[in-house]
Amino acid sequence: MVSQRPLRLVTLTALAALAAGCASLAPESAPSPQPRGDAGAPGRAALPPPAPEAEQAPPGRAEPPPGRGGPAAPAASAQLLQQARTERAAGRYAAAASAVERALRLAPNDPELWLELGEIHLADGNRRQAEMMARKALTLAAGDGAVESRAQRLIRAAAASR
Amino acid sequence: MLAVLAAAVGYGGFLAWSATSEFEGRRWDIPAKVYAAPMELYVGRPLEPDDLVAELRRLGFRADRTLAAPGTFRVRGSTVELATRGFDYAGETEPPRRLTVTFADGRIARLADAAGGDLAIARLDPLLIGSLFPAHGEDRLIVAPDEVPPLLIGALKAVEDRRFDTHMGIDLRAVLRAAWVNLTSGEIRQGASTLTQQLVRSYFLSNERSWWRKLREAFMALALEARYDKDELLHAYINEIYLAQDGGRAVHGFGLASQFYFGKPLSELELSELALLVAQVRGPTFYDPRRHPDRALDRRNLVLEQMAAAGLITEEQRAEAAEAPLGIVAERDGRRSTHSAFLDLVRRQLANDYPADVLEREGLVVWSTLDPAVQAAAERALTEGLDALGDAGAGLEGAVIVTTPHSGEVRAVVGGRDPSFAGFNRALDARRQIGSLIKPVVYLAALESGKFSLASVVDDAPIDIELEDGRVWSPSNFDDQTHGPVTVVRALAESLNLASVRVGLEVGLEAVANTLGRLGLPRRPPLYPSLLLGSIELTPLEVAQIYNTLANGGFRVPLNAVRAVVDAQGEVLKRYPLEIEQAADADAVYTLNHALVQVMRRGTGRGAQALLPAGLTAAGKTGTSDGYRDSWFAGFTNGHLVVTWVGADDNRPTGLTGSTGAARIWARTLASLGGPGYSPPEIEDLPSRWIDYYTGVRTRERCPDAVLLPVPNDARPPRAFGCGDDASGFGARMRRWFRNDR
Repeated sequence: MVSQRPLRLVTLTALAALAAGCASLAPESAPSPQPRGDAGAPGRAALPPPAPEAEQAPPGRAEPPPGRGGPAAPAASAQLLQQARTERAAGRYAAAASAVERALRLAPNDPELWLELGEIHLADGNRRQAEMMARKALTLAAGDGAVESRAQRLIRAAAASR
Repeated sequence: MLAVLAAAVGYGGFLAWSATSEFEGRRWDIPAKVYAAPMELYVGRPLEPDDLVAELRRLGFRADRTLAAPGTFRVRGSTVELATRGFDYAGETEPPRRLTVTFADGRIARLADAAGGDLAIARLDPLLIGSLFPAHGEDRLIVAPDEVPPLLIGALKAVEDRRFDTHMGIDLRAVLRAAWVNLTSGEIRQGASTLTQQLVRSYFLSNERSWWRKLREAFMALALEARYDKDELLHAYINEIYLAQDGGRAVHGFGLASQFYFGKPLSELELSELALLVAQVRGPTFYDPRRHPDRALDRRNLVLEQMAAAGLITEEQRAEAAEAPLGIVAERDGRRSTHSAFLDLVRRQLANDYPADVLEREGLVVWSTLDPAVQAAAERALTEGLDALGDAGAGLEGAVIVTTPHSGEVRAVVGGRDPSFAGFNRALDARRQIGSLIKPVVYLAALESGKFSLASVVDDAPIDIELEDGRVWSPSNFDDQTHGPVTVVRALAESLNLASVRVGLEVGLEAVANTLGRLGLPRRPPLYPSLLLGSIELTPLEVAQIYNTLANGGFRVPLNAVRAVVDAQGEVLKRYPLEIEQAADADAVYTLNHALVQVMRRGTGRGAQALLPAGLTAAGKTGTSDGYRDSWFAGFTNGHLVVTWVGADDNRPTGLTGSTGAARIWARTLASLGGPGYSPPEIEDLPSRWIDYYTGVRTRERCPDAVLLPVPNDARPPRAFGCGDDASGFGARMRRWFRNDR
């Protein structure tokens, strides 16, 4: 029984090499397989649900899909974001940050909120947190070019003012 | 003679000074009050009408069709209307207002104010969860003069001190009458202390019944009356007088007594409730409404009669109030001694910034992160989960911690099976072997090294490791089987020890310890190979810190129980802002978390997954220590990280694994929390591919055992020949071979 084990490994390695060779010869029919069958967010969330996602938004609701990072509460989130911008413009950074943190509790995967918080930190002179918030936003960007470039700008600004 | 007189004057001066300095000083001797996070109501929030009503009940709101006063609500089908109380939240003002909350499809569909205008967001006043009082000491919740119902003042005068407005601190007529009654009856049946004398007695905590004490008391009362006006004395009395005992905590003042007995502010009390509090003045132990409900009821109704006799209320009002039940909240209704485990955490966090006497005396307000609904769910899950284990659960203890991953805010802490017991807090202090909870750390180090992907094949075969002292360590699998070549995803999902040890040794103990430190363990573990199987001992809180970093995509946030501290004047003293630190490679954590989802679908978390609502995606890991002494589960969705531990305080074997013990309590907790499942946004450079769970080769979605996993482009696994459905095909033979677990 034990003697079978090394044999299996050897075979596996050979098989893997062979298959890898084949794979590189044969053109890929699907170069970037997109996840399929996600009821809430087709082609976005990377995890296929084991069954239809019962906890996700019922169909017909005009909401960004969860997982994309869109706010679950667009109106509330927008209002808090507006409030944060007013506070920030007045130089009240702690109050501005509080408002964004409150919005993040409603929509933690919204990269715009993390960027906003990062920009508040930058204005307040906390460059380290500005950069970290931008990095967090990047992990939630899901290919959104606008978010990515805003995050990169923030990272550069945080580094430049150092 | 002169000397005696001088001594008397001197002593009198001393007494007057004592009384007035106590009066001045007492105003500030207030333990910090800790409030839960306020419930946020916003359009789109997943919530059922029943959840809202449950929260309103916790806050002491009462059903009232007219919504006449703050703290009332009414339910009409799928709409809940309420009159909120309003409050100041760390510098932000939430106005008291009428809200109409309309529900549809399990969410808040609309939020409107009294004028019918749409609101995007509003919040309820936060629940008072407790105070940071000294180990054995007084606790109070100061009420301002305008928060005191005039009827309470009237009742106190009518029942305790009819000539309060006119006497000079002592009431000679009452004294004479009482003396006559006591003399003729031959026993002490009637007291004649004025409210001022009662106040003095409360300051000096003496209950001896002697003429000498009475004399001192009377003198001090006269001194206070000479110095302060009646309103000041009355207000001091209302905040000072002893009204209830709660274990080691003495409940003083009508503000806290109102919360303690009725769970709502003093200003919202009904007539019958007010009368019950006034009844307590004469003897909080003797008339304790929880222990002696009949006595308390009789005394309350006597107070009502005296109020009617004094013309404060009509006969109809008296009769109606006398029919009312006592109406006190149940002991386990979130009011008495519960939340002690969470308050413990609050105290420890604040101890870094404030000395104990500041917390215990200066009337601070602490806005904490506790979610009362989550706390209630976690307490219920632990108690019922241990009960459900039957004989296997007898004598076992447990702990639960719930956090919000993105912010590290702690939502709930349960320190033991009986959450109202304020003793050993296992969630914070039980340091136990974590077993396989370490494996995600090992595999994260492996993924970060770039040497492994989830599709890599590793050997789950026996291994002998010579230790520094010459002994040989030969770990084995949980089931004493070996599985041969297995994929990394399977090794983690099924918690295979031999494969994990081999992976860990290849990336190095140093790298694993380093990863553990970055994830949030503040001390360095000893670098023994047994670290790879979780021989280190951690508290549930430390485990929560480490897994919170995983749940937060590799960003570490210090776990936090406090949002802000405000002083007695409402000024914000300190905020605890959200600050994050990237602690691990985001792609590696993202990849690891996909494997933790497979733990739930195919591995040791399957049983827990089956207890979750259908379709809820979660990521998690079981842990079992040597000899079945500790049963662990740590896992998360987008909104919640839950860590559970089950074991015996004396560290005896429990016979439970992570799957059979802690995982079930974990699932019970998570199932009642709701919220979206784990669904991270996809990372563009790391597309997910269909991988065969057993062989690691690329396969197709329709193939059996195909799992969708992120695998880096440069670690592209080999493609399978077809699917292997064809039973006689080569692929099928390979698959059978790989699945041969012996």
